[in-house]
Amino acid sequence: MRAPARCIGLAIALGSTAIPARAEPPAPVVIEHAKVYLPGDRAPLEDGTVVLAGGAILSVGAAGAIPAGARTLDARGKVVTAGLIDADCDVGVVDVEHEPQANDTDVREALTPALRMADAYNPLSVLVPVARSGGVTSAVVAPRRGLLGGRSLFANLAGESASEAVVRPALAQYAHLDEESGQAATGTRGAMWLVIREALEDARFYATHKPQYDANGARQLSLHRAGLEALLPVVRGEEPLVIEAHRASDIETALLLADEFRLRLVLSGASEAWMVAGEIARRKVPVIVDPLEDLPERFDRLHARPDNAALLSRNGVSVIIATFSAYGVRLLWQHAGNAVRMGLDHDAALRAITEAPADAFGLRGYGRIEPAAVGNVVVWSGDPFLTSTQVEHVFVRGREQPLQTRQTLLLQRYRNLPVERAAAR
Amino acid sequence: MSFLRPLPARALLAAALCACAPAEAPSRSTTPHANLIATAPPADPFAEHEASARSPIDAPVARHPPPTLIRHATVLTAAGKRYEPGFVLLKYGSIAAVGAGDGPSTPEGTVVVDAKGQFVTPGIIDPHSHIGVYPVPKTVAHDDGNELIDPLTASARAEDSFWPQDPAIERAVAGGVTTIGVLPGSGNLIGGRGVVLHLVPERGARAMRFPGAPEILKMACGENPKRTYREQKRAPASRMGNLRLLRDAFVKAQKYVRDWETWTKKQRAQAAGKESAPPTQASARPGSDGDSKPPDRDLALETLALVLRGDILVEWHCYQADDMLAALAVADEFGFKVRAFHHALEAYKIRDVLARRGIAVATWDDWWGFKMEAYDGIPENAALLTEAGARAAMHSDSPVAIQILNQAASKALVAGRAAGVKLDEDDAIRWLTANAAWVLGIEDQVGTLEVGKRADVVVWNRHPLSTYARAMRVYIDGRLVFDANQPEPPWSDFELGIRRP
Repeated sequence: MRAPARCIGLAIALGSTAIPARAEPPAPVVIEHAKVYLPGDRAPLEDGTVVLAGGAILSVGAAGAIPAGARTLDARGKVVTAGLIDADCDVGVVDVEHEPQANDTDVREALTPALRMADAYNPLSVLVPVARSGGVTSAVVAPRRGLLGGRSLFANLAGESASEAVVRPALAQYAHLDEESGQAATGTRGAMWLVIREALEDARFYATHKPQYDANGARQLSLHRAGLEALLPVVRGEEPLVIEAHRASDIETALLLADEFRLRLVLSGASEAWMVAGEIARRKVPVIVDPLEDLPERFDRLHARPDNAALLSRNGVSVIIATFSAYGVRLLWQHAGNAVRMGLDHDAALRAITEAPADAFGLRGYGRIEPAAVGNVVVWSGDPFLTSTQVEHVFVRGREQPLQTRQTLLLQRYRNLPVERAAAR
Repeated sequence: MSFLRPLPARALLAAALCACAPAEAPSRSTTPHANLIATAPPADPFAEHEASARSPIDAPVARHPPPTLIRHATVLTAAGKRYEPGFVLLKYGSIAAVGAGDGPSTPEGTVVVDAKGQFVTPGIIDPHSHIGVYPVPKTVAHDDGNELIDPLTASARAEDSFWPQDPAIERAVAGGVTTIGVLPGSGNLIGGRGVVLHLVPERGARAMRFPGAPEILKMACGENPKRTYREQKRAPASRMGNLRLLRDAFVKAQKYVRDWETWTKKQRAQAAGKESAPPTQASARPGSDGDSKPPDRDLALETLALVLRGDILVEWHCYQADDMLAALAVADEFGFKVRAFHHALEAYKIRDVLARRGIAVATWDDWWGFKMEAYDGIPENAALLTEAGARAAMHSDSPVAIQILNQAASKALVAGRAAGVKLDEDDAIRWLTANAAWVLGIEDQVGTLEVGKRADVVVWNRHPLSTYARAMRVYIDGRLVFDANQPEPPWSDFELGIRRP
């Protein structure tokens, strides 16, 4: 059983508190004798020690002072990685996908660049602990559709309040230029790109003509003020524009658009990216993929293939792996593991769910085990990509998180039949 | 008023069966087609109709692959035995021998596969797939999985929607899958007949039919039918509406059975009368021929009549425990059996009931939460069912998940063990093979590596319960249909000129 009894006590205690009090700082933790995965191309430490204190990683390696009052965790035979980052998912904005009131991803307008997913984020969603139970400690929660769908958030998957959980409320802007969203909204591929180009041009114009705009002296623009404001950091090259595109020619168009507007581009979906890997690598554009989406599912991805991630990585592209899901976030390891199955280097796959998303979105201190990094750390019973591996400990900002979920409670209740509920006793 | 009281369904059907089925008819569970086509007496009108709908056009072609000996492998039989090292001999489309050691000396012409370090399992069977009826790429033209014009479309057949050029077929085979149950979607209460197919490249579903597989019927309870028709401002609009329409349908089917039975009896009596006595004044009277006109044929009611008779297996899409219990109440009321609940994310809550009744469950490892009726899914579902003595099988319902069903079984095994359920590797393989075969009624032919079974076999590059495992060679009826080391042009005509090596 994975649900320790103490978790239940914690849940009850939290449930009875109307406004959660700020928790005491976590006691320092020393994780020792573990196989520790390090950032970059460095080989993992085979008998490594990681010290967590004050919510951060204090030290990594054999040496290092042990803080007073530290708890020691013998992780002999275990694997320690940075907490996984799902670079595109719906955790915290969906509880039940098919129930409109429990799904905050279903934006109906095509142009909502000012929309902020952070305004919808619910840190108490039952899906947050589920995601965490798969070793995912933080997530990028992104608009699911829209030609310019709005801005994603970056959150730690812990904490009682949104302000505690959300690290970056406006992380990146999203343009879904796939068949299902972009092309469907405009009718044709050309019109889809036209809308994006027009919006970016208008944002650029607005950036230099604010006084005229305020005095009603500017030409007609394709977006309202809030939308133009939201696009300013994009046209300034400060905020990433994540373009979901699948067809190789659409990806080429995205690259040219990024050249022209000097965008900080991140590609997403990118089923046919392997066909233009060289161009992507040359521009150092990171690519977010789901290795399980390997079918020629639509006409914009007839060349989809299961080794897309492997081919991109081999050609020098920084590959990021995401689940693009709500319930499946906890399976991020499996998405990455399947990329390995299809030829992606094991350590590159691990980077694809830790450092690579952190680097692509400028999330300093995330996704890596190194001194001063955020204390998001996972202890696994073995290779994180194997089905047989269990998540044993999850730390978010240095605090160990319960592995209990609503599902483990269901298991507990139904472990033995008949179920005896209080009223029937 | 006794004639208004409905006859107990079982009594009625027993009478119908006694009237038309010979005592020596082979067991339906092994050779249903033989029962329906070859040996059914002409006096059984339903069997005649079934036979007439089974045109032999484009029937499976017998092939004669060379005998193949796979050896030096770890052989996981899904029948309680593991041979390490072991061998499997495939001959005349069947498993001719399986066991420990190097295997028999082979006659000339035998293909010998040295599978050192590799693993051999029975072919994976996915009892719930929409490949071919919801093919990729998604197009309006091929959106053929749900006949959403009426909640009761028992006479629709998935076979008639199946697009054999679906690129997903070949990718499923690359995942070690050899047989699928193709089902209509779940928008209708009774969606229509499914079809069991061997995943071989052919020109049409009829040539892919799994020989001797029983007829199967897709039914659905819960959210999907009521949502579909509520949106159309039609019935059913609620769960009770679902059940109301279902009961109405089976009442009609009962009457249909009675009408045909009455007519058959009359026909026989007339025939017997003609033989034993010269025509009387009365029987020669003009107008008495009206009695010899058979009842109107209704293919939907005929399908339900065959369900009542146990000749069609019921495959019932149901998520919630309470929905499954309601479904079973209807099944009891009309006297038919449920072969398996599909999805059945809450099956663990009623596993005692399912085990007692011998109802199988085809489910996922941990696909859940996307709708209210999927909210209580837990990864231990299959494990808890197995522990309780019920039959669990893994299914995909997805052209993506079907490629990694082996990982699904592995995850379900790991989850179950973590919950303290005693399970071994063989249990997990059986979820993929033997139990899935039972769901589709083909358990006597496939699902284990045992002598005499069809030679549907997969060779894996490593333990099939590993994330990193890949199917290297896939055999169907002893024929090598997929070889990971020999890339071939795509099976699908659609992918010609598109897919690159």
